[in-house]
Amino acid sequence: MPRFLLHRLLQGLVSIVGASIVIFLIARLSGDPILILLPNDASPQLIAETKRNLGLDLPLWHQYLIFAWNALGGDFGRSYRWQMPALQLILDRLPATIELAICGLVFSVAIAVPVGVLSAVRPGGWTDRFGRVFAMLGQAMPAFWVGLLLILFFAVELNWLPAFGYGGVSHIIMPAIALGWYPVAAQTRIVRSAMRDVLDSDHIRLSRALGTPEHWIVWKYALRNAAVPLLTMLGVYFAAMLGGAFVVETIFAWPGVGRTVVEAVFSRDFPVVQAGVLFTSILFVLSNLLVDLAYGIVDPRIRADR
Amino acid sequence: MALSIPVSEPIARRRLPAWLRGAPWLAFLVLTIVLVCAVGGEDILPDDPNGLNLADAFRPPFWAAKGSAAHLLGTDNMGRDILSRILAGSQISAIVCAYAILFSGCIGALAGMAAGYFGGIVDAVLMRLIEIQQSIPSIALALILAAAMEPGLTTVIVVIVLTYWAWYARIIRGEVMTLKGRDYVNFARVAGVGTPTILVRHLLPNIFNTLIILATLQVGQVILFEASLSFLGLGIQQPDISWGLMLADARQYITSAWWLITMPGIAIMLTCRSANILGDWLRDRLDPRLRQL
Amino acid sequence: MSHWRASLLAALLASGAVGAVAQTPKPATGNLTIAFAAEATMLDPAKSAAGVDQYFFGQIYEQLVRPDPSLKKVNWLAESWSVQDDGGKPVIDVVLRKGVKFHTGDTMTAEDFAFAYNRLRDNKVSRWSHLQASVESFEIVDPYHFRIHFKQGDGSYVADNLQLWAMSKAYFDKVGDEEFGKTPIGTGPWKFVSRTIKEDLKLEAFDDYWNPTQRPTVKNLTVKIIPEDLTRVAAFKTGAVDWIDAVPPALVEEFKKMPGVTVASYVSPNNMYIAMDAIDENVPMHDVRVRQAAAHAVDVDAIIKGVLFGQGVRYAEVGPGELGYDPDLKPYPYDPKKARALLTEAGFPRGFDIPCYNLTSPREPYQKEMGEAVFAYLTAVGIRCKVQGQEYGAWITFGRRDRPGHIDGFYSNMWGHGLPGDAGTAWAGHVHTYVPGAGWGITSVHSDPELDALIEQLKATMDTQQRDALIRKIARIKRDRVAGGLTTYRPVVTFAWRDNVTFIAWPTPGFWRNLQQIGLKQ
Repeated sequence: MPRFLLHRLLQGLVSIVGASIVIFLIARLSGDPILILLPNDASPQLIAETKRNLGLDLPLWHQYLIFAWNALGGDFGRSYRWQMPALQLILDRLPATIELAICGLVFSVAIAVPVGVLSAVRPGGWTDRFGRVFAMLGQAMPAFWVGLLLILFFAVELNWLPAFGYGGVSHIIMPAIALGWYPVAAQTRIVRSAMRDVLDSDHIRLSRALGTPEHWIVWKYALRNAAVPLLTMLGVYFAAMLGGAFVVETIFAWPGVGRTVVEAVFSRDFPVVQAGVLFTSILFVLSNLLVDLAYGIVDPRIRADR
Repeated sequence: MALSIPVSEPIARRRLPAWLRGAPWLAFLVLTIVLVCAVGGEDILPDDPNGLNLADAFRPPFWAAKGSAAHLLGTDNMGRDILSRILAGSQISAIVCAYAILFSGCIGALAGMAAGYFGGIVDAVLMRLIEIQQSIPSIALALILAAAMEPGLTTVIVVIVLTYWAWYARIIRGEVMTLKGRDYVNFARVAGVGTPTILVRHLLPNIFNTLIILATLQVGQVILFEASLSFLGLGIQQPDISWGLMLADARQYITSAWWLITMPGIAIMLTCRSANILGDWLRDRLDPRLRQL
Repeated sequence: MSHWRASLLAALLASGAVGAVAQTPKPATGNLTIAFAAEATMLDPAKSAAGVDQYFFGQIYEQLVRPDPSLKKVNWLAESWSVQDDGGKPVIDVVLRKGVKFHTGDTMTAEDFAFAYNRLRDNKVSRWSHLQASVESFEIVDPYHFRIHFKQGDGSYVADNLQLWAMSKAYFDKVGDEEFGKTPIGTGPWKFVSRTIKEDLKLEAFDDYWNPTQRPTVKNLTVKIIPEDLTRVAAFKTGAVDWIDAVPPALVEEFKKMPGVTVASYVSPNNMYIAMDAIDENVPMHDVRVRQAAAHAVDVDAIIKGVLFGQGVRYAEVGPGELGYDPDLKPYPYDPKKARALLTEAGFPRGFDIPCYNLTSPREPYQKEMGEAVFAYLTAVGIRCKVQGQEYGAWITFGRRDRPGHIDGFYSNMWGHGLPGDAGTAWAGHVHTYVPGAGWGITSVHSDPELDALIEQLKATMDTQQRDALIRKIARIKRDRVAGGLTTYRPVVTFAWRDNVTFIAWPTPGFWRNLQQIGLKQ
């Protein structure tokens, strides 16, 4: 187990370093921040001087090594635009985005599991049909449209939920739905097919023959086994939500890291882009690691396999 | 495999071949219409999709009061015919989907086959690449790339290919790893068949079904992905038209002129849903092991 | 219209009533939450990078001179000021208002302005160092009297409210650069409480504010940042906020009909125009007839009405209210026939293809659509636009001359100049021929020696009346030759507030977002 963990950790590190190189290079392809940063009448000398101060006159590989070395010490550079440490800017906004991504994930799983289970147990039943339609809608509507419709209905028409902003539980309901609706369809499918496989398996047939109550079979034995394939994907879904959160953050004026990174891209604020993307990558690797660990808990056989 | 079903049934029976029974005809129909519109070009457009007519802006669909038969689905904020724009948008959406799926599928399949077949260092490197790709939020990557290149059709396709190849590669790799252990592959190898031949002759046909299924499932994702890019102004650019762009632009008028966002929205929903239904059906028919996708 | 005018009158009367008992102003009370669409980045006037920063720091910091709600320039922190002559070199002589306190309680003196001047001049700190370039020295006469000596005349200094913001030297010496930017201290009506990036700005009315009649009457103010138009509208409709800026043009009519809501529209100091490459001899727009054809080809009025729901004001070179506004100078009338004739005359009977660059990131309302519409009109007469969308970072760099290459077609651009507005600085940037490293023509794709000379003369002119005459003269030539691009419209910004709020719109120096007089109805 520790060996396996160490191996995964190493792999994760390689991925993070790789991701940081990719982002570093592409960000620099997107243009020069100097002209955005300096006053209109900046002399060529001032431009050159500023370039030198920001280290933008060095060869790319050298710039990257400096960035990587400083990043190891927790220094991601100062935001060109906000003139504050990029790390602080990102870390201040990160909790809100993580909160949003987790709630979005919880929403999608909370819908996908019961719908998936019931549609495997009773295909063609009303939960199956309703669930499929619900999942379909989420899969075919961009998050910004869903978000606006939610606001118009639950905030403006019914006045049940606040239309925007960060705060208590009521604030996160609509953003979580807007973010978490899209993967419901895919997750439902995973749960349904896994349930079908498990329900057809011998040991469930045996349990049935032994007279175990059906709901017990479905919700305890079968679901426990069917959860594994969904679990394996949770890391990927979590990352997708972190990455896709910026649309929802913009619509709901959610003070998250997604909006910060998007604006940083527009203003070529490289340190913020790098720190923002790198932290998302780290979260992705960590959540996959957690998922790997969780396997062992849900399904002890896998632990033995490794 | 399921496809090995006799194609020529006695005509007298006039019944559908078994594998076509229960086919999602509606989904087929919708996709056929979209495809016909896409290849129909400008000939089938009732109106110039970019024809500005400010005096005729915000005309509702024909059935509503003030609607007109000249603009069946109404006009947008610039007086452009929404039906024409949706049809023209289907062309761009089809182009984006076709290229994006073709390239991400090919690259993903090649990488997946190489990783699965050769294993070892090739697999290790490719798997790292895949994980790197997946750990960078795709929208962030898309955003920076779109900023680095000029936003537009080509950029959208490049961005989608870069985002989705890893998805193909991961799944194909798994497929190939199981196939590799099969007897016929081993026989071929023992018989001295070269690696390229094994890959092309023996493995490719077997992962073809998977590729088709993945491709149909990707259609909806591509359309929505483009819509997210359009939300930021980094998607398809005028004078090209995409449904995502129409949707993103129309959100300003969601309360004052509902049809602007609803009409392209319905087009997206129908197409995504049809492609997914088709994908589901193909998967169940061709390869039940992939039901979890 | 009459509805909001009446309400504005009521608000004015209400504020007058406050003024009547002003000798001992009632302390501000209550809480108010409002929403802005855009968020400021820097809270330090010297480090500010964009006009939008004034939305925040303009509540906290003040200048020597400022425009009042009628856009008349009034002495503010300056008790009086004048331009004097010192042996052929101009001097601005300023006497400060006494008894003005910073939020720390320190009294504002000439020392603070010397500090502000030095800080604004330092190009390691300030993005506005070029605005101090023609200043020779800063002389403190006594604690309430200072003189700014110039090497040569600098009209923009006068036009831009004497540039300097009152920044507390004592506070800076105490807390240092970093904290100075994080926790701003000014003399303004609002004290900084806190800010959360991407979320809000919290302010508290400053009880010791020097101006007892024109001040907020609400104690605590929270400014929420809600970028998405419909969400901001929803926040207003649900009562989460009681005042919003930037009502989307499509919804202004709906807002006017809402019971219990006041709506007021103001023209914003942003001048939209379509730049066109006139310096490359191989580009058709090098020919003045082609530029005139473009000017005749676009029905700006129809676009404003149709695309912008009337939320824009057409202008010819200089907008109403700006210095040098000439009511007799009319924009080119829409005349596609004449446009085609001019094109034929210039040797393009079948028109030509040309790249057209459109900004797609939201900056002014429906700007992308406005650009699309303009380009569609151009295409209709034969100036066939190959439209290329650009996001903000690409767009802003693309327009600059200190990059390799230059705009090689049409390019949707804008120039801001504060309120009430003076075109001098802007024209120096986009009409004057580009001179590398000298500050002239940094976004210009035009070259006209006659205009260059006049613009240079304007830059050196500090007398307002002479400036007015010069601007009129330049505007006429600029219009006739369609120099420095085709002027189109100025966006209108609309504020809405509930009737429990009293509000009189003041401009910060740059924009209409100052919360000088906002409060709750008693």
